[in-house]
Amino acid sequence: MPISRLLSILLAVFLLAASPAGAQTAPTVATDVGTQLDQANAGLTTAGKQLDDIRKQVDAYETDDNRLVDLKVEAETLNRSILAISVALRPRLDAIKARQTELGDPPADGEPAESAVVVEERKKLSAERNQINALTGEAENLSIEATKLSNRITEIRRQLFSEALLKRTEITPDLFSDAATAIDAEARTLQRTVTAWLQFVWKFKRLQLLAAVSLSLMAALVLLTGSYRLFSPYITRVAQQEKPHYITRLSVAFWSTVLPTAAAGAFAGTSYFFMDAFKVLRPDTAPMLAVALAVMVGIFFVGQLANAVLSPGDGNWRLVRVSDHGARLLWLLIFSMVIVNGADYFLGTISETLGSPVILTVVKSFFASIIIGLLLLVTAFVQPVLRRGEAPESQGHQWPRSVFVLLVLTGLGLILASLLGYVGLARFVAAQIVVTGAILVTMYIGFLSGRAVSANNAFGATAVGKRLEERFGLSPIVLDQIGLVSGLSIYLLIIVLFLPMIFLQWGFQIADIESWAYRIFTEIRIGSITISLVGILAGIVLFALGFIVTRWFQKWVDGNVLARSQVDAGVRNSVRTAVGYAGVALAGLIGISAAGINLSSLALVAGALSLGIGFGLQNIVSNFVSGLILLAERPFKVGDWVVAGTTEGFVRRISVRATEIETFQRQTVIVPNSVLINGQVGNWTHRNKLGRIDIALSVHAGNDPRQVQEVIADVVRGQQGLLRNPEPVVVFQAFSAATLDFEIRAFLADILNGTAVKSELRAAILERFRADGIAMSGPAAPEVPVKISPEGALLLSTLLEQATDKLAKPAAARNRKPAQDPSDA
Amino acid sequence: MRRAKMKRMIMMLLVSAAMTAQANAASVTNKDAETQVLVVVEDGSRAEIALEPGTTETICPSGCFLTMPNGDRIALGGGEEVEIKGGEALVK
Repeated sequence: MPISRLLSILLAVFLLAASPAGAQTAPTVATDVGTQLDQANAGLTTAGKQLDDIRKQVDAYETDDNRLVDLKVEAETLNRSILAISVALRPRLDAIKARQTELGDPPADGEPAESAVVVEERKKLSAERNQINALTGEAENLSIEATKLSNRITEIRRQLFSEALLKRTEITPDLFSDAATAIDAEARTLQRTVTAWLQFVWKFKRLQLLAAVSLSLMAALVLLTGSYRLFSPYITRVAQQEKPHYITRLSVAFWSTVLPTAAAGAFAGTSYFFMDAFKVLRPDTAPMLAVALAVMVGIFFVGQLANAVLSPGDGNWRLVRVSDHGARLLWLLIFSMVIVNGADYFLGTISETLGSPVILTVVKSFFASIIIGLLLLVTAFVQPVLRRGEAPESQGHQWPRSVFVLLVLTGLGLILASLLGYVGLARFVAAQIVVTGAILVTMYIGFLSGRAVSANNAFGATAVGKRLEERFGLSPIVLDQIGLVSGLSIYLLIIVLFLPMIFLQWGFQIADIESWAYRIFTEIRIGSITISLVGILAGIVLFALGFIVTRWFQKWVDGNVLARSQVDAGVRNSVRTAVGYAGVALAGLIGISAAGINLSSLALVAGALSLGIGFGLQNIVSNFVSGLILLAERPFKVGDWVVAGTTEGFVRRISVRATEIETFQRQTVIVPNSVLINGQVGNWTHRNKLGRIDIALSVHAGNDPRQVQEVIADVVRGQQGLLRNPEPVVVFQAFSAATLDFEIRAFLADILNGTAVKSELRAAILERFRADGIAMSGPAAPEVPVKISPEGALLLSTLLEQATDKLAKPAAARNRKPAQDPSDA
Repeated sequence: MRRAKMKRMIMMLLVSAAMTAQANAASVTNKDAETQVLVVVEDGSRAEIALEPGTTETICPSGCFLTMPNGDRIALGGGEEVEIKGGEALVK
């Protein structure tokens, strides 16, 4: 859609440039306009002829679905070109109208007549206007016819399909005898054709054939070996793995089906392409060869798939719970079905190309459908199912009832339909069962493996995950993310690869699918709203690009410009943030307009939101504005030590809505910017880091306060890290019966070192107090004065002396101390 | 968390903008005082639409032909804004 928009802009510019030129100079107008109208006329005539041509072709190829698809596309293109021709006429019409308005109304009766020139111009203009209207009318009719034709083609195709399906042929003995004669003739024709072709090839095109085959073989080999190289551990069954993981089994099944089939398809496609290019093919053999190749690829695909799912040889790799015997039988049955089906299609094409009678095709398909029906019936009676926990070698059980009934009904239905003469229907259903079934099973396995890969922590357990982990040292989280991405991409791959295949199976043509895909990507219409996926994707990509460029620019400005110019960290942070937000906003606008969203409709949204802002978003907007103020005013910068309410800590990040403050306990507090703007914020490090520390000290009341003050002042003077100016002060703050209280007030160059300096200072003061014998507190027990009479004292002392003498003899040293204590008392 | 909120807001804005976007359809506005009848040819069918004075109608998402009340015929490629004044078309 952006392209169409661009084109329309270009066209508009071109027309704008062209139209004033027409209005200014009269002579050129005539020739210009003449040619423009002539061109439109000629274009419409050609379009009419083309339309007739297409109509004739539709009549001629009424039964050829491929041709009809192409014709429909042609009709639609024609319709668009008709519209474009008429759109191109519009500016001229506008110019004429403008000129007519300029000239005004013709004079009424009785007014003076106009000059002949004006009358002439009036006539000319109205004639031209009529001509344009006539041309547009013609275009309108043509466009209606083209649309009708295109609708008719769709109708014809629908009828063709249902006719092919529901056509009934009477099955009579005559039919078979006729077919027998026809088959005889056909065999002879086929032999003649093929021999003639082979001789022709051998004689004249030997080299080309060899070249084609070898080139295509090479292409397939490159694809195959390349993919095996890349994926070999994941698509081949490694013998050493006794019990492979479920994901491993799934992915091996999926990839070992898809990759070889892709290689086979590439071989078939390239060999057909080269043979065609080297003119090895002839019109009579080309379709046969094409179908033969396609059928072979199909058979190969189903065979591979059956092999992958059933794994007849190795029970450990089986995806479904069936017995060994059952797996072998099922494999054989499925393979036979696909061979019969393929043979049916191949033989049908031979009959068609050789121009054999239709009954031959009918009879072939009749037998093929009956055989497939019988095979389905046989499948219903196979007993392959294993219960949980049973070994693969053990005897299987019957299908579940529903599967059994379905198989029997389909088998019987096929046989019955063929016997009743609905051979086309039976053939279609049989092909659907085999091919669509196989595609669906592959899709299902793919989906399962995608789901298994994207499951939590599953990717790390796979071989790829382990290898990535070893190789790049990825963390489990990254591996998990990779798993998720690969799971999603597997989904996408499956949808992109297999859905078209199924549609092709159902009789749609490639052009149909292309036009659907085009429509899905360019315009999805819901009511009057048109959404263009491509546009939205382009918008997202542009936004991502803008975002990356912004980040890069931000880094560049920060690292190269701001760092060099030695600006303050706060300014740097503000500039960086502002650049970031401006860039994102710009990228957003670019992305939105690229997505085809009209910016004027954004204004509408903004208008609607402003009501919301009035109520609900008030806070967010107030924070946002506060954030802008913070960035401009810079009351604090990253790294500052701030106190906001009860929160104290370092500012770690200032963004537009909130500011992160990290407390000293390393808790991050997110403070809305409006709080920081409206409330009081203390900043310890606003202009400088200068700050005062206060240390309170107490000593025993028995000390001399002046001596203590002097000692403390001395220690403070000797302390590293304190400023001399302003001078540190020691204040004698209070005294009581027990203590003398002092406070040290000193200034630091960097308040962030406060705690360390405080602790240093306390240690130094304590050491000094101890050295100087300044008591920090009183003795453990208080001194109690005792009153005693002189006689009593004498008595006590004599008693003590006697006791001491007695005790001193055996152990003088030990007993002296207890004896002294009472005397102290 | 804050980023997630921001992202959600942006997403909300984008989605609501996408809803209001009308990428390719043309719109016709009647600026006359009386009801005007237009003939629209779109997808192979001819239809008449009546426009009340002052109303705007969204038509033909993928191009169409219009016949104006005064007999002029114009083709629209989609995305145009047409105003009807005095039975004439003004294409922007």
